[in-house]
Amino acid sequence: MSSDQDHLEETDTEARFEFKKEEKSAFETEKGLTEETVRLISEDKDEPEWMLERRLRALEQFQQMPMPTDWPGQPDLSEVDIDEIVPYIRPDIETRGGAENWEDLPEEIQDTFDKLGIPEAEKNALSGVGAQYESEIVYQNMQEQWEEQGVIFCDMDKAVQEHEELVKEHFMTKAVPPSDNKFAALHGAIWSGGSFVYVPEDTSVDMPVQAYFRMNSEGMGQFEHTLIIAEENSEVHYIEGCSAPKYSAFNLHSGGVEVFVGENAHVQYSTVQNWSKNTYNLNTKRAIAEEDATMEWVSGSMGSKATMLYPSTVLKGPGATDNHITIAMAGEGQNIDTGAKVYHNAPDTKSTIESKSISKDGGRTNYRGLVHIADGAENASTSVECDALMFDNESTSDTMPYMEIQENKVDVAHEATVGKIGDEDVFYLQSRGLDDDDAKQMIVAGFIEPLTEELPIEYAVEMNRLIELEMEGSLG
Amino acid sequence: MSTQVHANLTEEQVTQISEELGEPEWLLETRLDALSALGDLDMPEVIRTPGRDWTNLDALDYETLVDPLDWEQEKDRVDAEGVDVLSWSDALAEHGDLIEDHFGSVVDPQRDYLTALSTALFSAGTVIYVPEGVDAEDVKIRTTMNSRSLFNYTLVVAEESSSVTILERQTTGEQLDGEQYYSGVVEVAAGENSFVQYGALQNLAEDSYNFQVKRGHADTYATVDWIEGNIGSRLTKTSVETRLLGDSSESKIVGAFFGHEDQHFDLGSRVWHEGEHTTADLVTRGVLDDAARSVYEGVQDVGREAWDTNSYQRENTLMLSEESEADASPKLIINNHDTEASHSATVGQVDAEDLFYMTSRGVDPESAENMLVEGFFQPVFEEIAVDELLEDLDDLIVERLQA
Repeated sequence: MSSDQDHLEETDTEARFEFKKEEKSAFETEKGLTEETVRLISEDKDEPEWMLERRLRALEQFQQMPMPTDWPGQPDLSEVDIDEIVPYIRPDIETRGGAENWEDLPEEIQDTFDKLGIPEAEKNALSGVGAQYESEIVYQNMQEQWEEQGVIFCDMDKAVQEHEELVKEHFMTKAVPPSDNKFAALHGAIWSGGSFVYVPEDTSVDMPVQAYFRMNSEGMGQFEHTLIIAEENSEVHYIEGCSAPKYSAFNLHSGGVEVFVGENAHVQYSTVQNWSKNTYNLNTKRAIAEEDATMEWVSGSMGSKATMLYPSTVLKGPGATDNHITIAMAGEGQNIDTGAKVYHNAPDTKSTIESKSISKDGGRTNYRGLVHIADGAENASTSVECDALMFDNESTSDTMPYMEIQENKVDVAHEATVGKIGDEDVFYLQSRGLDDDDAKQMIVAGFIEPLTEELPIEYAVEMNRLIELEMEGSLG
Repeated sequence: MSTQVHANLTEEQVTQISEELGEPEWLLETRLDALSALGDLDMPEVIRTPGRDWTNLDALDYETLVDPLDWEQEKDRVDAEGVDVLSWSDALAEHGDLIEDHFGSVVDPQRDYLTALSTALFSAGTVIYVPEGVDAEDVKIRTTMNSRSLFNYTLVVAEESSSVTILERQTTGEQLDGEQYYSGVVEVAAGENSFVQYGALQNLAEDSYNFQVKRGHADTYATVDWIEGNIGSRLTKTSVETRLLGDSSESKIVGAFFGHEDQHFDLGSRVWHEGEHTTADLVTRGVLDDAARSVYEGVQDVGREAWDTNSYQRENTLMLSEESEADASPKLIINNHDTEASHSATVGQVDAEDLFYMTSRGVDPESAENMLVEGFFQPVFEEIAVDELLEDLDDLIVERLQA
């Protein structure tokens, strides 16, 4: 194993949940959601008037929209009481918009992210790292060479101030309007932090840009907004990781992600989600792909109590391509409801969706996906493949794909399988000297390989370690 | 819809239907309960995605269209030796206790608004009773609808180690104009080690609305097989379902549809694996022409205690025209890991290479396409074990292709 990976081996994944810092913050809103709260957040951030107006409009929509309760087999959201959530906590840091140097951060925040392996990951030559602690970005860096080429990677609050026109045009207007769903509306009202990525024309950022999100306070909501604009012929890979310590109360994560993939541009968005198991993870992620553009979503959902997440792509320009790779793993008490949505709105568009899920110890996974081929999207093709692995009869594995085909010159295929770990496979590996647990772990690692091979090595290692951890001692 | 006051459906009408059939008190009660529940019941479920309902069941004002006392049909029943194939009034006279045991035990009379309407108002229909050990020939029922609305109820009771194949054909009489409503409920109670095969070919007039629920309970070692052909009607909403309750029970649901003009088919195939060692196979193929629309939902539900389950599902749709539309949702709900389950669905058009091959052999393009469409149905035809149904279905498909 190379020395680059050693720090990952040393990062105790379990410790990420067990340690939690004494909450110390400069500004904290009252629990609950009122117009006053929204005004306070906006004022504290010194936002322009239009952003406050958007927030208030979103709040109005949030209040009018019903909770989603009638989806077949959906996670129970009855515990999610917005009035119990503290929407906005600003960590106690002098510098607004994040510190430039790691050393400038308060010690306890440094310590937290050290445990998460953030600086090491940066040393490993990721091109930029943003880390969000509670509601605000506390550390952000971008390697100089990219900055010189005009690439912007900064926190969202800073982008509102410094790149106002770009933000004003793209922020929750075309990709994720607040009216999309109740939690998108909530997000629109009280969003805070997140990342802004801008890649100019003809620029390839050939190292991944990385952000890490963490909630440290009990009963906390995190609502970070990520906006990625990739201009014509550009290329970027953005990675987000998420975690939170364990508390008895619930946490709510309701992020918003908007990606604009310009003509012939290529964006990959990878997520390794490992929220603690009291977190409700209700996100809205959407990309709009122009002519000949490629959008790739790579998602691993390991954590959270309940996840409802369906990254979606609108294939707007002819020849645009979408690839989805999603892996969900649900253990005891977890309900991971995830999938993909693709809208083929132009001719010659292609999409592939590959979904893998693992459910065990009473966990529930659900693939819920929608492929829509609009009238006129000639020669569109889509292929959806869902595979599920189950460990016991307390767990549940659902597959609920929806296909809407309004064009006849298409090629549409959907396939799904569900099965248990093959006794023969386990026997084979045992006969090669592996014990039962190792054999099963190896089979699972093989099962999720299509995901791990899409990730940089340190994330792939982390994924495998998370899965190992999830499986330890749980195998019969 | 569910909040409407049903001004023109009254208890008196229901009581009158019940009296004419010479029904016992319990059945009248069941009907009246269903009638009074109408106000609280929802329409059968339809799939909804953001901004779209896959089927609109509110297009018809059922309660205005329905005239429960004015019903007319032609029934042609061909029975088989050892099997009782009876109208409701005869069946109630001969097998009152048997009917009381099974009626409503498979299909909940109040599962939704349209089923409750059917339970309250049914007047036509057939009871088929296959006694223990009887290995029967084919039973054939031909229903011709001759009134604006017709409520048909079929109850099949197959006792231990019996075997029967039932063929049902639904058509509309020639003298009818305007919108019509056909509602059919089929209940199959398949006893231990019995075999029931139920084939239906629906070719109602193309201004009719068609709602059907077919559901079977399979006991230990029992087999319930369904064959569904849908050609007629303007709007069809069906659900064909099997609960595999007994260990080692089996079910196969085979479907074929061919829609043209502005026809809309909303077809469901659903199976619940509840016993151990159960097997299900769901196969549906359909073709859409003109502005026809299909909605397909397939559900394979494997219960917690359904050890050693095998469950397969395939759905393929062929689109012949620009304006046609195909929606599909094949669902897996798996609660036991000792399962081998898969499903697949495809939507596409006639393969250009196939067409080119045929035309290069001197077949004109239209005949070539027709042959390829007929060929597309072949995998489904192969699953249809009943020759007579197969021939009829093939004839209707050829007829439509040539239209």
